[in-house]
Amino acid sequence: MEGVIRAADEGSLSDEQLFRLIGRLWALERMFYYVYGGWGQGLELNDFPPSVKYLFARQIYDDSTHEMLYLDAILKKGWAATQRDVFQHPYGRFEMDSALAFYAFSLRNFATYPHTIRIAALNLGPKILELHWMEALGEALPDKELRGVFTSQRVENRSHVNMGRRIVEEHVGRPVDAELCRWACTVVKQDYGRYLQEVSDLVLGRTTSLAPATTTPVTD
Amino acid sequence: MPTLKVNHERCTECRMCYIVCRELDINAVYVALEPLHRIEIDATACTYPGCTACLMYCPAEGSIIEAESGRSMVPPPLETWRRRGAHVPV
Repeated sequence: MEGVIRAADEGSLSDEQLFRLIGRLWALERMFYYVYGGWGQGLELNDFPPSVKYLFARQIYDDSTHEMLYLDAILKKGWAATQRDVFQHPYGRFEMDSALAFYAFSLRNFATYPHTIRIAALNLGPKILELHWMEALGEALPDKELRGVFTSQRVENRSHVNMGRRIVEEHVGRPVDAELCRWACTVVKQDYGRYLQEVSDLVLGRTTSLAPATTTPVTD
Repeated sequence: MPTLKVNHERCTECRMCYIVCRELDINAVYVALEPLHRIEIDATACTYPGCTACLMYCPAEGSIIEAESGRSMVPPPLETWRRRGAHVPV
């Protein structure tokens, strides 16, 4: 996202480019309903203390807020008239053959892993990256409203990172689980990196080759 | 024309109003940046009393009010149903 942040800082991002950026971020946030739906199905009664589930519920709510913020911004800026339009627009549409889809499915597949592992993977991987690029982008954007869309997410993003840390510190005790957390974190960080590269390429109108996706044979 | 606003002392932030308003493509309910991520109603986009869908979906009594009179609109008073053409026994 460095290129996008630099362009924002120089004030050279056009409305069209900003629509591309927020449209793709919205498309990802929408996918979190799907990801968290799968993760929620894997939570059983008494498998974790209620505090773990409360934190997860809070995270779902926050990511839903972020999805709403992006859509509100698109509508307020007049880049699209309705939600239906954005669903069908190339910038807001979900494409199967995309790094976004790869990342979303990668996260969704963690539904079969213990909640502690997947929360560690997401919150101590992509969420940390997101916290930092979003903070930088928020400060770089000249448009006050759009700046607010990003800077207002800071508190919630930071709390997700803290949640990840707390879950790991309190609930990941065995070395094998710690190793699994590290592995999962590396996988989703790579996938998120590919998604960010795809977004940046679209926003800046450039073509770079995406790093090959890491695939892991499913053995469970 | 009367306008609606959210009564934050009663609102549970369930966001049903946001969902229904967005589904109807009215988009008057939005997530405010300040106070942080609170649900608000944009009176300039809201078509009340033409549309009363958010009132029908809101589960928290008294959480949407008429801005001018302060009158609670949740649950929706009888006349809102009548305006929508529903048969309401007297």
